[in-house]
Amino acid sequence: MQKEKITSIINLRKIVIEENKLMSFDKKSFRNSSFRVYDGEFAGVQYYLGNIGDDEGYKQAEENLALKRPYRFSLETGSRHRDKTEQEYSDKELMDITREALEYLQRHFPDFRIGGSVTCRKTAEAMENSLGLDHSNTDCAIDISIDYKHKDSKDVFDGWFSLGQRTFDMKKFTDMADNYLSAYTVQAQLPEELIIQQQYYTYLGKFYHCLNAENIALGTSLLTGRVGEKVFSDDLTLAHDVSDEAAWFTTFYDGEGVVLPEDRFVYIENGVVKSGFADKHTADKYGVPHTGSAGANMTDIPFNGNVNFKIKPSDKTVKELLGGRLTVVPILAAGGDFNDKGEYVTPVQKAFLCDGERFVGSLPEFTMKGSMFDFFGKDFIGVGSDKPVFNDYQMLAGMQYSK
Amino acid sequence: MFSFPEGLYSDIRIEHTYNANYSVENGEIKQNSETSVAGAMIRVYDGKLWYTSVTNDLESIQSELDALAEIAEKNAAIADDPTVKLYEVHKDKVLHFEGGKDIRRVTREEREKLVQGYISACIDDSIEEIKKWSAGYSHDHTVKEFYSSKGAEIVQDYQQCAVWVWYEFVINDIPLSGGGQFQSMFFEDLPGHESKILEKRDRYLDFGRNAVDVTPGDYICVLAPSVTGMFTHECFGHKSEADYMLNDKALRDEWVIGKKVGSDLVSIFDSGDMFPHRGYIAYDDEGTAVRETWLIKDGVLSGRLHDAHSAAALGEEVTGNARAQDFGCSPMVRMTNTCMQAGETPPEKLIASVKDGVYVYNVQFGTGFSTFTMAPGISYRIREGKLAEPLRVNVISGSVFQTLFDIDGVGNDFEFCENTTCGKGGQWLPVSSAGPTIRVRSLNVN
Repeated sequence: MQKEKITSIINLRKIVIEENKLMSFDKKSFRNSSFRVYDGEFAGVQYYLGNIGDDEGYKQAEENLALKRPYRFSLETGSRHRDKTEQEYSDKELMDITREALEYLQRHFPDFRIGGSVTCRKTAEAMENSLGLDHSNTDCAIDISIDYKHKDSKDVFDGWFSLGQRTFDMKKFTDMADNYLSAYTVQAQLPEELIIQQQYYTYLGKFYHCLNAENIALGTSLLTGRVGEKVFSDDLTLAHDVSDEAAWFTTFYDGEGVVLPEDRFVYIENGVVKSGFADKHTADKYGVPHTGSAGANMTDIPFNGNVNFKIKPSDKTVKELLGGRLTVVPILAAGGDFNDKGEYVTPVQKAFLCDGERFVGSLPEFTMKGSMFDFFGKDFIGVGSDKPVFNDYQMLAGMQYSK
Repeated sequence: MFSFPEGLYSDIRIEHTYNANYSVENGEIKQNSETSVAGAMIRVYDGKLWYTSVTNDLESIQSELDALAEIAEKNAAIADDPTVKLYEVHKDKVLHFEGGKDIRRVTREEREKLVQGYISACIDDSIEEIKKWSAGYSHDHTVKEFYSSKGAEIVQDYQQCAVWVWYEFVINDIPLSGGGQFQSMFFEDLPGHESKILEKRDRYLDFGRNAVDVTPGDYICVLAPSVTGMFTHECFGHKSEADYMLNDKALRDEWVIGKKVGSDLVSIFDSGDMFPHRGYIAYDDEGTAVRETWLIKDGVLSGRLHDAHSAAALGEEVTGNARAQDFGCSPMVRMTNTCMQAGETPPEKLIASVKDGVYVYNVQFGTGFSTFTMAPGISYRIREGKLAEPLRVNVISGSVFQTLFDIDGVGNDFEFCENTTCGKGGQWLPVSSAGPTIRVRSLNVN
């Protein structure tokens, strides 16, 4: 009988801001453990929230072998420890950062009501088993998330921005605040050509369905029958990436302990669909390679779906990719989604006109649409090498206005 | 039971939750698990700032409380704080689900038998368009305890269970998914809905085979009752949550009580006190007894939803709408069971009165900003007063400031939608929404 344990310890300290005032100071600490035992045919799994001894955890997992949850794959081995922590912050330092940020916003932008939170998050994830697997992944960062509302607005709020940093830099925060709040009161016109500038992951949702190897095999994916084909733009390379450079609270191992070469797996390369994602069970069932894509289901056997998609950035900045054109940056685009055909339609309640680096002004409401095969295809401009208006890489793609 | 510190308001919310899941996908068991967790949120308020702590160690509650009290500033006048004054003090035990009604008594075998029964009745391998199916069951049971420094001592329970069958079709090379789910607080309510699942399956098959893309534009829309429920929740319900407008003059002026905000046909209320609907609670997570709150009566704004903080800020009464997702979250103003009152017109007459429009049969999700949205599952074109071809619609949107005035027909039917889960501020809560068939003069359909 083999044994395996996954633990996740999450420590959160959060200061909540409401209508320009500090509202609460919250502390949370959770320890989650999942104990697994394997008898070669089945896995017994037991989840526990809080402190529990290993003997008790494994005993309960062993009792759950009676549920006959199938698992007949080899366990992983190896040892690696990654700690992305750059700096730890005391309660006082967190409070000082919050007060300084809020004071800046109130002093420079008195016409806005500010809400949001400043959170210090520290996570320690680990996985070990009786074959010697011993992995851990630790991360720590401050996330500052601000929602704003102009005093004359009749909406419940008018937008938001956020910044996550392992080492907090107030200048980055004030630059971001200046960009958003200075442009808000400047009215701009919708450009004739609609180029959307958005965080790279915003429109990747459909790929989580389309690139699931099971959906490809069963025919329910829009990419069924298209593996090996050039479907998207030459400039689109889409990979699961949990490398040291790309990691942001992501483990380098999956829910089965698999570590990928260079911590990456490329699914779409220069527009060509290379493969679907599969955990060991899905790979075995459909005869495809497993791609280290198992989710660490704490209460049951692993599931297929732990994928951290990243689009490979271009070597050009956002502004260079634009070549003088202006973009539209949706800030609130609630209510839309992809339809079954891969078409995306959404009302955009709040948006900025942007020169690629700085916002030019606020835009009126509009509705946008596009097909994933177009905005990741012929209308895909690229992902910039810099991070000008969000705290992440940004993609540029042409879309259309809808009535 | 607990020693509450002097000069501060404090409360403790303890939760014991148990849940079970069982699901099957294309004949393979995908989930079979049981989980139980316990934890507590401890809150201390000094009149300026809240201090909260969350723990899984129930033995440490007193020490957590004492530690929070150490960092708060003692306030001799805390009892006079406007928010603290509004906290109700109830000593009560409301346990609906003890003994034979306790969902935890349902065995693994009973759960599996229920799901296998649905699979036998609802999965037909001869339908080639069905490429993938799943069926499953879940339940959860929670006992909450609430204690406050003002003397509240409340114990209440909640449970829910659901069974579902879901299909993924590929029709004319286009993937499509749909199915049916039945939700209740009692296991005994779950069997026997096979024919309704099959009706939904066949409707989705018909939709996939015959749907045409809608031409984007503004249309007269007739909304089925479950869609009206979602519309009520998204279009107006979220605007009635008073935490959005605490000291905001623009919003206070816009949403002043007594203002006409919709047509005479529109009346909307929220009530947590609607057992056994999905949004039922006996007391909210601040210990306030729930009650019925009329939000709009005959088109006139009549009330709004509050926690103690928002009620104090606006000088209004608490309504029992302070809810938290679980012990890890602080309560905020949330809906419970939100309903649009039925009218007098038979629903078929509402459809018959439309020469050219859209009938929205069901909806997947929605959002509730000033421009509210709904993402329909199945819609139909209305031509000359009759339902015509199915329509593929991505999103329907409108302005809360206009659409409530555009409701010009309200049906005499009334149905609850019990499958709704509402998200706000990162917290997800069970709610229900309800309403009749309604006709809206204009909505944007894309």
